[in-house]
Amino acid sequence: MLAVFKREFLSYFRSPVGYVALALFSFLSGYIFVSLFGSGEVNLAVEINLLTRYFMIIIPIITMGLFSEDKKRGTEVLYYSSPVSLFSVVMGKFLAALSLFAVLFVNVIIHMIITAMYGGVVDINAWGSVIVYFFLAALFIAIGVFASALTDNQIIAAIISFVIILAINLLSYISGMAQSAATTIATSLGSDVDKVNTIGERVAAVINWFDPLEKTKNFLYGIFSVAPLIFCLSFTLVFLFLTYRVLEKKRWSQG
Amino acid sequence: MIEITNLVKNYGDKKAVRGISFTVNDGEVLGFLGPNGAGKSTTMNIITGFLSSTSGTVKVNGHDILEEPEEAKKCIGYLPELPPLYLDMTVLEYLNFICDLKSVSRKGRKEHLAKIISMVKIVDVADRLIGNLSKGYKQRVGIAQALVGDPDILILDEPTVGLDPNQIIEIRKLIKNLSATKTIIISSHILSEVQAVCDRVVIINKGKVAAIDTITDLSKRLAGSSKLLLSCQGPVKDIVNSLRGIPGVSDTNVRNSDDQVHEIEIIVDGNGGADVRRQIFYNMSKGGWPILEFRSLDPTLEEIFLSITSA
Repeated sequence: MLAVFKREFLSYFRSPVGYVALALFSFLSGYIFVSLFGSGEVNLAVEINLLTRYFMIIIPIITMGLFSEDKKRGTEVLYYSSPVSLFSVVMGKFLAALSLFAVLFVNVIIHMIITAMYGGVVDINAWGSVIVYFFLAALFIAIGVFASALTDNQIIAAIISFVIILAINLLSYISGMAQSAATTIATSLGSDVDKVNTIGERVAAVINWFDPLEKTKNFLYGIFSVAPLIFCLSFTLVFLFLTYRVLEKKRWSQG
Repeated sequence: MIEITNLVKNYGDKKAVRGISFTVNDGEVLGFLGPNGAGKSTTMNIITGFLSSTSGTVKVNGHDILEEPEEAKKCIGYLPELPPLYLDMTVLEYLNFICDLKSVSRKGRKEHLAKIISMVKIVDVADRLIGNLSKGYKQRVGIAQALVGDPDILILDEPTVGLDPNQIIEIRKLIKNLSATKTIIISSHILSEVQAVCDRVVIINKGKVAAIDTITDLSKRLAGSSKLLLSCQGPVKDIVNSLRGIPGVSDTNVRNSDDQVHEIEIIVDGNGGADVRRQIFYNMSKGGWPILEFRSLDPTLEEIFLSITSA
């Protein structure tokens, strides 16, 4: 796992990918920070929370080539024919991408230092946002790794992960729309008002249950709990396991 | 040692490998031949663990590739048809990565890599990016990665593809040297290469083993009888009569004849296995008929290959 991690992490800086991600993240975080700084009220929790909204752009860029490039270049044979387990390869690549995200986060640390230097407060809300940042990054990177294992085309891998992450970001809107739709359908079927509302709420609740942003939003207000973190971690592992299964399946069916 | 038993690989309805069985003994160099699409690469990929078989077993030094994959893979160095190279790494970085992947101990790693690099003659490009190397050098780096970890078994799929004639000769020499300590399977379309380095050949066709033997025995089996070509001077009728009188010679055929030189094909009965060459020499000498050329006309590997694969 360490060998794969080392190779993948360093490869970010042997190609433009790492620098593009770093430049993009620095620009976005810098822009947000300067805007907040200019308004005279710096809230780091807001900055970090806004940055998580841009994961749908940055994460597909850094994960798109993780497996698809190996398949395209024929280097995947190294992982299948070496005495390493396929799951450790998946973990190595995942941790390399997550480490790049940690490097990107240096920007925010610099902003924290500047805030503290100017007498600002790095409060519990900011630390809560940091926790959410890394757990959401892990989940979305696992989705990106999974998308990369599905195809040998980097662009298609990027599109797949972008669409999934976008859909997750839109889950609160989707649940609202589903609630309205369910209510409309139930009303047209002649159900009484209380029942109609309950059906709509239940549909929305089911969709919201899958929304990691909704689950972790209390962290931004300094209210911590373990359940949302376990939720993110569980889905991260699910996507990593699915990646492993996709790669294993290739071995059995490849032509 | 590699033991392959009833290996089958299906891709949906297509049967790529249909019950292949053979054994590769320790220290043996085995040539793996077959037309395109015969199932060579699939079989090699199954042996190395890159693909899983539909049924059948592959045992590498006693370890089943499906049940004990890590133990089996430790024994194998694999060069696939397309060398698995990371173009953004230097040769040394790449070989160090392969060392990490194969868990080669850090102690003595430098010497181990230096030995491999010198063996495959890539010393002068060790610090260059792989992406900037010529095809020949990339192929050598591919061979170098297969040698990392000093595996007992080497599986080389088209090892001399893309190399110039000098490099081909060097790689053949390298394979010959390696064969002293390693078991090697080579797949190649260059039959002269297989003939030059292999102890035995397996010819597969349409997913099945069509022949497995030494090249000499294959050619004998294929020919049924062996042939000699004699180029000489003298009265052709007398020469032919003299040759036909030698026990073991079943027939002669004058291929080419002018006033001075005759080319005579001598068909030797294969069943007796008699070596008639000495007697031919004595008869020619006794008759005072000078021999200008005298050589075996056994089928080449190309002829054996064509005969078996087109059957």
